[in-house]
Amino acid sequence: MVVQNSPSSQATPASLPPSVFTLPQTAQLEALYTIIRDKETSRGDFLFYSDRIIRLLVEEGLNHLPVVPKTVVTPTGATYEGVGFEGKICGVSILRAGEAMEAGLREVCRSVRIGKILIQRDEETAQPKLFYSKLPQDIEKRYVLLLDPMLATGGSAIKAVEVLKEHNVPEDRIIFVNLIASPEGLKNFCAKFPQTRVITGWIDQGLNEKAYIIPGLGDFGERRYCS
Amino acid sequence: MEEVGEQEQTPFLDPSPGRPPLSRAVSNTLNPGGRSEFLLQAKKNTILKSHGRPPWYDEDGHAVHDAFVIGVAGGSASGKTYVARRIVQALGSIPTVVILSQDSFYKKHGPEDLELAFQNRYDFDHPDAIDMPLFASCLADLKAGRQSNIPIYSFKEHQRLDETKYLYGAAIIIVEGILALHDPTLRDLYDLKIFVQCDSDLMLARRIRRDINERGRSVEGVLEQYLRYVKPAYDNFVQPTSRYANIIVPGSDNTVAIELIATHVRRKIEDRSRYLRKDLARIGPLDLTLGNPVDQSFPNLTVLRQTPQLRGIFTMLRNSRTRREDFIFFTDRLSTFLSEKAMEFLPYKSKNITTPVEATYTGKELAVEHICGVSILRSGGPLERGLRRVIQDIRIGSLLIQSEDNTGEPLLLHLMLPDCIRQRHLAKNSFVFLLDAQVGTGAAAFMAIRVLLDHGVPQENIIFVTFIVAACGGVRVLQRAFPKVRIVCGAVDPMLRETWALWDTTPQSPSQDGDSGGLGTPTAKTKAEAEAEGRKIWVVEPGIGHIGDRYYL
Repeated sequence: MVVQNSPSSQATPASLPPSVFTLPQTAQLEALYTIIRDKETSRGDFLFYSDRIIRLLVEEGLNHLPVVPKTVVTPTGATYEGVGFEGKICGVSILRAGEAMEAGLREVCRSVRIGKILIQRDEETAQPKLFYSKLPQDIEKRYVLLLDPMLATGGSAIKAVEVLKEHNVPEDRIIFVNLIASPEGLKNFCAKFPQTRVITGWIDQGLNEKAYIIPGLGDFGERRYCS
Repeated sequence: MEEVGEQEQTPFLDPSPGRPPLSRAVSNTLNPGGRSEFLLQAKKNTILKSHGRPPWYDEDGHAVHDAFVIGVAGGSASGKTYVARRIVQALGSIPTVVILSQDSFYKKHGPEDLELAFQNRYDFDHPDAIDMPLFASCLADLKAGRQSNIPIYSFKEHQRLDETKYLYGAAIIIVEGILALHDPTLRDLYDLKIFVQCDSDLMLARRIRRDINERGRSVEGVLEQYLRYVKPAYDNFVQPTSRYANIIVPGSDNTVAIELIATHVRRKIEDRSRYLRKDLARIGPLDLTLGNPVDQSFPNLTVLRQTPQLRGIFTMLRNSRTRREDFIFFTDRLSTFLSEKAMEFLPYKSKNITTPVEATYTGKELAVEHICGVSILRSGGPLERGLRRVIQDIRIGSLLIQSEDNTGEPLLLHLMLPDCIRQRHLAKNSFVFLLDAQVGTGAAAFMAIRVLLDHGVPQENIIFVTFIVAACGGVRVLQRAFPKVRIVCGAVDPMLRETWALWDTTPQSPSQDGDSGGLGTPTAKTKAEAEAEGRKIWVVEPGIGHIGDRYYL
């Protein structure tokens, strides 16, 4: 009998920071990525298959939340020593691509609160700059699932965590969920926030001169919403 | 009796020109008396059943007996169909009978034959008009318990149609046709050969009356056809085959003969089912409770990773006080997860692609020809939404299996399978997600897997997806009989317990298959009342209760 009961996803390769977790790298997952990476894939398929990956990522992210023991009585009268969910959560998506992950989040966590952050590159300084944020009022009491599909240089994600920390969310209560990460981005992000967990579906080769992830899948938001 | 299968009446039953199938009217007018409503309704080429189909396999999952095949030959208008239907009627409650008509197997005509046919100059009574090899192979499949897709012949178009009629699961097959005993390959397939002997004058009289009354033909035309084709064929090809018959039945006043035949067939069938029941008793309750827990080393059982979230989901589902909307939400969430897991067991192959940033990438793609779901109703239903979240447009067939109240024996009441399983050549390259809420005794799952194997789906292509498996339960029986079937489940529960049916399971609902989900919510029924009812069921513990009831009612 194959019981896979490790508490979390696959062991992190030695070269990666300990706060990084990837999904089990199965042939099936690779097939999902092959569909969304292919530039010939239709928008409908891109939506459907990226949603499947996002659902798996959110499920994995939730496993990093604490649970408490809970005993229940089943319909046959037996008792069961289970666990209950503990702690309030919310999602925060980095506009615009991060919004694509909200549907997947809500499929797993009904009516979860979702904050939004808009970060763009400041043309003068070439640094990421916060343009807009709308967050739940009690966000400092919640666990935060930070949503952004692509972790390239890590600039926006780092800025987003800084914003969350300004709102008194402790670093270790943030779980950053993305579909594809570059090794550079992971290194930058984890160096800055070693206590924030990063859940990523796939770690790619690296970045090209325009800071696109290679092989990547192009511009996630563009493919999801526009092209 | 009712029909298995959802297809409408087939075209060849329509009165139309050409060689006519024997009509119900013949038996009505010339053989009065002794017919029930059912007799008049018994369709050809349709599986008829009085109740569900009991197990046809042993504890190892092997089919034990072929179907019992009866060949009925005789002249045109001799009363073959009448005899066939009377046999069905006389068999009483014997389940699943099909009357297979020779008329379905007329050859596909070329343009020349087609022209002749429309001029009434084609000899439909000659053995060459029948596609005997196809007839024999379809019958051989049905006899061996496999599905068959028999041709449909249209008398209106004088042509075999492109569509076919799917048949599966008959315990008794009655083959009727003027040349039913002509072909030696066919003869070898019969367990009982009957020739309906009828006076030539009587046959001609019936034929004239039928063709004039029902088809508006002239006496002249009927006699012309009779003398040119019907009579020579009868003398040369039909009548001589009577020597192969085990029994010659008179074409009229044949009540005694039919009773004798029915008694013989019934005894044969009862012998078989008695043998089976004894056999299945050995894998019954005792074995389940006293046995060791499921073999931990069994490689084809996959249990989801027991993550905190998964345990949380199960805690919600197991809790009898969980609200219905929460139960549905978490069931859907879990079934999505199970479906994703099940997908990992499909084969994948390499694929090269280019990404929008013009990078090349060698990835993977699914390497299956056909994939479908089959849900064991009703409790398999809660797994369907998850499956559709993973394969949006997947075809999902269904099997309705219910256990008989007094014996607990599973009965196959209905099946509706996707085309990629109905067609044998597709089935062998199909992957099937078989869905059921839990494996308690495993009897329903066992039957469902046998149905898929009968259709030619390879064992290793079946992925059984379920929420809970009882460690001491039928999962071991499944493993022993079908070691290559992959089982994907969310949890393994320690207990399987037999109990009085204290809980409310609505009698008219098909949810009582002891296998498919345990119990609903406790009702006011007392233990004494339940014991008086005498119905015991198996429950998985701690379990989820009756998943079908909690999800749907």
